[in-house]
Amino acid sequence: MSELNNVVTDRAAITRNGVSIDDTFAEAFGMSASGVVITADSPKWARQSAVTMTGFGTSVIGCGAECGIDYEIAADATPDGRPGVRVLVFGFAPELVEEQLKNRVGQCVLTSPGSACFNGLDSSRRISLSGGPRFFGDGWQTARKLGDTRYWRVPVMDGEFVIEDKAGVSTDAVGGGNILVIGKDRIGVLETCELAVAAISNVRDVITPFPGGIVRSGSKVGSKYGAPASTNDAFCPTLRGAVKSELSADDKCVLEIVIDGLTAEAVGNAMRAGIKAVLDVGPQRGVTRISAGNYGGNLGQHHYHLKDYLP
Amino acid sequence: MSALTLKLRCAPAMRLDLSSLVPGRLAGMSRGEIERLEVGGRRHPLKVGDCFEVSGEAGDSIIFEGGSDQFDYVGAAHAGGNILVDGDAGAYAARRMKAGDLEIRGNAGVCLASNMRGGTVKVGGSAGAHIGRPKPGEKDGMAGGAVIVQGDTDDYPGERMRRGILFVRGRLGKFAGARMMGGTIFAEQGLSAGAGIQMRRGTLIGPQLEAPLATFVDCGRHDLLILKIMARYWLKALGDAAPPPLTIPPRRLMGDMASLGKGEILLSGA
Repeated sequence: MSELNNVVTDRAAITRNGVSIDDTFAEAFGMSASGVVITADSPKWARQSAVTMTGFGTSVIGCGAECGIDYEIAADATPDGRPGVRVLVFGFAPELVEEQLKNRVGQCVLTSPGSACFNGLDSSRRISLSGGPRFFGDGWQTARKLGDTRYWRVPVMDGEFVIEDKAGVSTDAVGGGNILVIGKDRIGVLETCELAVAAISNVRDVITPFPGGIVRSGSKVGSKYGAPASTNDAFCPTLRGAVKSELSADDKCVLEIVIDGLTAEAVGNAMRAGIKAVLDVGPQRGVTRISAGNYGGNLGQHHYHLKDYLP
Repeated sequence: MSALTLKLRCAPAMRLDLSSLVPGRLAGMSRGEIERLEVGGRRHPLKVGDCFEVSGEAGDSIIFEGGSDQFDYVGAAHAGGNILVDGDAGAYAARRMKAGDLEIRGNAGVCLASNMRGGTVKVGGSAGAHIGRPKPGEKDGMAGGAVIVQGDTDDYPGERMRRGILFVRGRLGKFAGARMMGGTIFAEQGLSAGAGIQMRRGTLIGPQLEAPLATFVDCGRHDLLILKIMARYWLKALGDAAPPPLTIPPRRLMGDMASLGKGEILLSGA
């Protein structure tokens, strides 16, 4: 969930290392999520497959799912002994996540040279992972059950595509954790956000689904044209004099980091890591303030008050 | 508490049905109750106490001190715990076994692991014909678990096998995997004639095959990823008893084309 609405702030309640932190909260939502492990002959090709699969996976509203790479896995820790990448896929409901997995694995992992795809989430609730891709075998696909796990072997032009039959799915996932980084220098704010995303990437079970983990087009709900979302004008620096702005005279740029996680705790840990990274940089690259996006607190079940996640 | 031990008094003169002597069925029984269990002989019924000296207490483990090829149905429907036969076993050992471990230090008779569903069976010697074979009216042969035979097997090993692994350190008898529907048969010393006859699915692995059937087609040598996954799984599940990983890409024969044709024989020899 990336679409923000009315941000309720009490400005500059706290200041740390020259950066003020609004007394506000990020409002996040319950979601369903699944995880898969993609392996390949090299880390490069495992990552390539994962990057392709998670493309066009920024907002569940427009993309059907929010996707991202959680972490890379050493060869000795994957089911087939090859380097791998864990990918997380978030959606509104398990059956919608299943549909996304079917399409994304079928189009982006099955097609990737040397790839294989395995369940990446332990859960008692499971959805089909092979349901689409295995039928690409046109009758030549065969199953192999080892213990409680069934694998499918699909003949392809470079050998066989191996895919696990089921993937775990969780309905305890959380989408829409976020921080807003505000400053007076656009490049400086962007570089600071990059450091924050890098820090968040070290937190397990979370993804930052937007490009490079960073959003420049935070949105509010609704539009004069009937669209479900439109630009969050209160945080647009070029509209500061024309709307009820949340920005001060020096603010030239606002970038948002959206966080989805398998648990509420994981999202909180990621927010803490991101905020710490921003505060560690301080104002030297133009960052003046940290805020968060919410909907007034009435829509999302999870409220992450920034003051609770300060280092 | 010492393990329940059944010491053979003398070589049995008739076939014994030892299906009642598994940990799950003996749970809570006293030694006297165990001694009064019937173990076969319709005209001259025999009880456990007639054949064995019983010591120890009923629990998770049963030890047969001494074995015989007259010991039928050892470990039948075994569902947990350990059974050790310090000697031979007769027909239908591990019949419909679900879980746990069965070790036969001698040879096993015909129809070992018939319709077995799970658990691990280790045979120190060789095994008789028709490993896994279902009884009339049953659809599947061996349908899960692992059977490890140190020696050779007689003919028709893995008959109508559906799932699990049969690992033979020696050589498989003729017609291995006949009418097989799934699972893996791994023969360290090779496969005999008629391997895979009428197999629909499943995998036979060995260094070489004596006289391949004409209804199998050569698909060439391939480095199959699934073999790496299987090797890792077996190592985790069976430890030192796991089949060795293949060192070179095996030659893949697909068949039986006179049946469904989705089975494979993987020949790992140079």
